[in-house]
Amino acid sequence: MSNLDWNSPSVSKRLVKRHAAERRFKWIGFGAIVLSLSFLALLLVIMLKNGLAGLDYRFLTGADSTDPTVAGVWGATKGSLLTMGVTLLLSFPMGVLAAIYLEEFAPRARWIEWVEVSINNLAAVPSIIFGLLGLAVFINTLGMPRSSPLVGGLTLALMTMPVIVISGRNAIKAVPPSIREAAYGVGASKVQTTFHHVLPLALPGILTGTIIGMARALGETAPLLMIGMRAFIATPPDGLNSPSSVLPMQIFLWSDEIDKAFVQNTSAAIIVLLVFLLTMNGIAIYLRNKFEVRW
Amino acid sequence: MILTAVLLAVIGLGLVGWFAARGRARLLYSGRGSMHSMPSYHAWHVALWILVPALLVWGLWQAVMPGLVEGAVFASPAAAHLPTDPFQLGAIVSEARNLAADPSAASFNPEAEALVEPFRAAQTRFGLMGAALVLVVAFAGGAFAFTRVKARFRARTQVERAVLALLLIASLSAVLTTFGIVASLVFEAGLFFKDVSPIAFLTGTHWSPASTAGDNISNNFGAVPLFWGTIYIGAIIAMVVAIPLGLMSAIYLTQYATRDVRKWVKPLLEILAGIPTVVYGYFAALTVAPVIRDFAASVGMPNPSTESALAAGLVMGVMIIPFVSSMADDALAAVPRAMSDGSLALGATRSETIKRVLLPAALPGIVAGVMLAISRAIGETMIVVMAAGAAANLSANPFASMTTVTYQIVQMLTGDQEFNSPKTLSAFALGLVLFIVTLILNIVALRVVKRFREAYE
Repeated sequence: MSNLDWNSPSVSKRLVKRHAAERRFKWIGFGAIVLSLSFLALLLVIMLKNGLAGLDYRFLTGADSTDPTVAGVWGATKGSLLTMGVTLLLSFPMGVLAAIYLEEFAPRARWIEWVEVSINNLAAVPSIIFGLLGLAVFINTLGMPRSSPLVGGLTLALMTMPVIVISGRNAIKAVPPSIREAAYGVGASKVQTTFHHVLPLALPGILTGTIIGMARALGETAPLLMIGMRAFIATPPDGLNSPSSVLPMQIFLWSDEIDKAFVQNTSAAIIVLLVFLLTMNGIAIYLRNKFEVRW
Repeated sequence: MILTAVLLAVIGLGLVGWFAARGRARLLYSGRGSMHSMPSYHAWHVALWILVPALLVWGLWQAVMPGLVEGAVFASPAAAHLPTDPFQLGAIVSEARNLAADPSAASFNPEAEALVEPFRAAQTRFGLMGAALVLVVAFAGGAFAFTRVKARFRARTQVERAVLALLLIASLSAVLTTFGIVASLVFEAGLFFKDVSPIAFLTGTHWSPASTAGDNISNNFGAVPLFWGTIYIGAIIAMVVAIPLGLMSAIYLTQYATRDVRKWVKPLLEILAGIPTVVYGYFAALTVAPVIRDFAASVGMPNPSTESALAAGLVMGVMIIPFVSSMADDALAAVPRAMSDGSLALGATRSETIKRVLLPAALPGIVAGVMLAISRAIGETMIVVMAAGAAANLSANPFASMTTVTYQIVQMLTGDQEFNSPKTLSAFALGLVLFIVTLILNIVALRVVKRFREAYE
């Protein structure tokens, strides 16, 4: 091949072929993205087309009903808010404290490895398994009320906590050691350094992770099916112990209705849920962009 | 009621202790270096000594008080002629308890009425006893800690020790959750396997848990069609959609796209991952399934059903795309720049470099990502509940209705049936299988990713 003639027709034909393959490959990649995003567009367009007409004041303030024209989404929304409240109150402090311990204080020991492995695995356990746990422990063993926001919130908190721990650890890890050393240098103790200096700097990252975890919990249906939150509830819940529904569950229940009029309700409820989720994700992105410090 | 008031009192006492200790510690200050700890640490030290022991006693009393009250009620003369049948007795006692709490509650047993007075008396007596006990403990703790407010006392060390204990408890709760999952699944599945042999469950091909016919119920719990449906939908159809699309998206975004395109397209793809699964399920049932049914009819399938493995698998694949894409993204980014630069320098085109150098080098990472994606797909519930169907079919026809492990778990546990029937318990056995399989996939995948990263570092 030492005296290869670069101008011979066979070589230039080969080059043309290779460049065509290059272009083809690039277009396939581009096509993959367009196809994936067009699924997203199709989904959103169909939901908007079906549901937008059903979004009115009565729909947003009413509770569930067997009559599609008076059924509303407020009962489920209130249930979702109560459930999310329980989840946040439990999983946020526990998750942040666990992240602090594992990142700043944990000794290098065998059992710490077990804690880390179990947190990483919990983050990947199918959500329905958490529902089975909630059913077996909270309802059958501890006798808590079925279908209540309390049990739903507890179950989702167990699911959300690992997500918060993992994002919290990453945020704490990103705080440079020089901050800690400066605090030690002026005489702060380890606990003071962590709570007065490291934690405030890591907080935006932790909050971003928390919001993303909460958004996931808000859209979750399967574990709540397990603990019986699928009953027909015609009045908004008035406490943590009263039977209630949540937004995704309302969508699921309405999607099962035979009456065609419920298609509009289902789609409208999906729009409400997606608006909540997009707002939460938007806040998370805003927090990340605004407070993220590049060290 | 008394105990709730006591709880508030203890918290108030803690607050008082906090301020009192801080004030006292401030008085002790006599110049730089005269004290070991700042006044607020003394304050926290006292508050913790008031709150923690008192709350522990409070919780303990809450747990033992119902037993004590019942004991006292049975010892009272009003309980002399109660029935001895434990079931009837339990009903009467719980009725009396309700009546004592709320006089307007309905009563069915006349005996219960007689028990209300002793019940109330005992509740008041033991409530007051508990309240006194809790308050004494709170005062004792506070007094003990208050006497220790001295200039040389290392209050900060003590408080920090308590903080560390709190942190430790929080991180142990994760282990507790794992333990709870394993224990509850194993326990309930154990009850199931008392009735149904594990071998019949894991190798049988006939799944009809509702029917009680047949002399051996083991034959109704063959879970192979469920496993097949799960693998067919989650690991085959969904992956056929998600792997090419996700991988090619990642390649385009990392190798070809400009920074601006990447900045906009990546978050859009992430939205796909953030859409709740119930929305995907509805989309599958409302839009995708009818299209597939019509298609099946047009190619001559005899009576195609609305619920098909293909509809569920397709939509699940779309849901997994961003997941595969971001895992492939990470794997491609971990390959050292020098490798692809070397290939480009030898005259290879970009696509040749990607196909011959980048992809083989990133393969372990990509495979691990696909394993994680599969573990996510087989645990997915709502899409299959809404689109895949209930029939336990053992077929390779994508247009057939097919059921999965997660679908059957939902099916077994919703509705009204007694909790301890084999039908209900089978859900926990299925859950155990699902948990073990996803656990193995995750552990193997995480290990592969770790090895792979280390290889290039």
